Amino acid sequence: MHIPERIDFSVNVQNVSPQIPHSVRRATTRFLGTRQVVVDVLGNERWQALRQAGHAIRLHTLEHLDYYLTRLEERVEAAGGIVHWARDAAEARRIVLDLTRARGVRRAVKVKSMATEEIGLNHTLQENGIAVVETDLGEFIIQLAGVGPSHIIVPAVHLTKEGIADLFTQKLGVPAPPDPLQLCALARTRLREEFLAADVGISGANFLVAETGTLVIVTNEGNGRMCTTLPPLHIAVVGIDKVVPDLNALNVLLKLLPRSATGQKMSAYTSFITGPRRTPQEGGPQEFHLILLDNGRTRILSDPLLRQTLLCIRCGVCLNVCPVYNHVGGHAYGFVYSGPIGAMLSTQLLGVRTAADLPFASSLCGACAEYCPVKIPIPEILLRLRRRVVEGDRIENAVAPLTLRASARVGAITLRLPWLYAIGTRILAFLQKPWQRDGWLTHLPPPLQRWTMVRPLPAFGANFRAWFRRRPK
Amino acid sequence: MNTREQILTDIRTALQRDSQSPIQPLSASARVASRVPGDAAAEMQMLFNEITKLGGVARHVPASELTRALEQLVQEQQIRRATCWNTPELAALDVPARLMQLGVQLVAPHADSRALAECDLGVTGVDLALPETGTLVLRSSADKPRAVSLLPRVHLALLSPAALCADLDAVFEQVKGEGYWVFITGPSRTADIELTVTIGVHGPKALYVWNIER
Repeated sequence: MHIPERIDFSVNVQNVSPQIPHSVRRATTRFLGTRQVVVDVLGNERWQALRQAGHAIRLHTLEHLDYYLTRLEERVEAAGGIVHWARDAAEARRIVLDLTRARGVRRAVKVKSMATEEIGLNHTLQENGIAVVETDLGEFIIQLAGVGPSHIIVPAVHLTKEGIADLFTQKLGVPAPPDPLQLCALARTRLREEFLAADVGISGANFLVAETGTLVIVTNEGNGRMCTTLPPLHIAVVGIDKVVPDLNALNVLLKLLPRSATGQKMSAYTSFITGPRRTPQEGGPQEFHLILLDNGRTRILSDPLLRQTLLCIRCGVCLNVCPVYNHVGGHAYGFVYSGPIGAMLSTQLLGVRTAADLPFASSLCGACAEYCPVKIPIPEILLRLRRRVVEGDRIENAVAPLTLRASARVGAITLRLPWLYAIGTRILAFLQKPWQRDGWLTHLPPPLQRWTMVRPLPAFGANFRAWFRRRPK
Repeated sequence: MNTREQILTDIRTALQRDSQSPIQPLSASARVASRVPGDAAAEMQMLFNEITKLGGVARHVPASELTRALEQLVQEQQIRRATCWNTPELAALDVPARLMQLGVQLVAPHADSRALAECDLGVTGVDLALPETGTLVLRSSADKPRAVSLLPRVHLALLSPAALCADLDAVFEQVKGEGYWVFITGPSRTADIELTVTIGVHGPKALYVWNIER
């Protein structure tokens, strides 16, 4: 996906065509309606318990992410799969390209995946002579239209059936009537051939289960099953944040995801894939590769508040309830992730220089946080990001963890020994002189310079002991 | 340092952990109680209701009337070619033989994908089922090829009451450690074009679930 140097939300908003708010709101209203029905069936008490559990599970996983990732790797490899690690988008693209080249892959089919959108995989494969077909109907449509997704769950939500019919007529070369059923049948025939002829199926994942090494894919159309069953090679590109500890945890998240996303109690197909096929007769890919993608996620982990961005299970309900998203649709956000999750995630993945507008693309009404199935404190995160936009990314790690720990250690020793403390304060008062300006230290030398980049430090001045001795009795 | 080590190191630095740091247990709030099932008949009815709501067809079929039910299905859906799981359960019900008697051509379940894609009907068993969501759980093995429930136009799943589970945890308990299983909840569907629900996108266009009563 092409990422502009700077996402200009207000300019993007002016380019939103007038029918967008209408079609977007129709979709989001429907989703919220069906969601409410299935939540009511469970009862509010059970639903809130599930949300709390979902939050606790996801947070626990992030807090022990290194452990669960290594465990996952071990289990996937024990099942005969191969695990790759990718630091950034370019590395992930290169791994996919190397795998496909080595096997002479000509045709690829894809399951809808935000991670592969994020790394712009299709473009790279096509450039290298591999035909890539998106097989989720909505993704197939936007691929023909040559645009990115405008919603996490229904990527073609911004298009009307008339527009889609025109697109099919133009790009597929067959007369297509503006009727969803017939358009669907056209896509089915067209894609059936692609599934049968493909050399590789490329997917993301909704969850990765560390305990068993299982990849979980939730779909409705059956394209997810096709892509991961028919081609001889399966490559999955998955963000490192998608891991969950075990099947018990998955139980909770599988109750939250379809209900929040599409208002279904369960999506039509949920596939549980552990490694390649175990016997040739059962069918399924001979080779299974899992690419674990960082691409900026480890950076998000360090701040305990911002870390919670990664709790997200990509259900899209925050888009559906967001008054801003409902007015402008997904493309205004300028990256694959839109709505409140886009405002949080894109800003952190792309950096505030590129995505400075996005944390402000919210009225902070808090509806998203009320609906979020894993209870992400979205407004607080957006506020923190707004502050960062103002102060710059360099506020990150104002003091490096090592320096902080070392100075805490020195501080502890000094405070235990009064004589050392007395000498120390004198030495400091002397040492600070070269950097002192009008009673403030504005630019300290490394490693302390990171602190003064953000705020000045008052110069060491008064000596409490001296004052205490001299005070009037 | 390779990429793997670098990513793990970055994670540990961000979390202020090292590879020896202890794993805190999951908090009590991360657990939710399992659903309490009703009696067997109510559970089966709930499963049927959910499948019906999703556009599937669920019914009880006495074993003695299986041929008649198959005949009806073959006519209704114009079945000419079919494939069937190679399991003792389906063999005991004589499903392949009955279909052949009805003039249906049988394709081996582990035939190649193109042959399976040309089948009108795929017959499978149901390993486990979740009444609350109308979900069928199908395992994968040499005798239960994955594509049988995927490529043919119509999917017929034969169920016995023993397959019913109260909640997901009971399902996971049984399938844990297996290489592949799939949840099937109604026929293939999409709402990607103007949110019009359309049945039969890539997977089967029709789902029949029969509880075989002996």
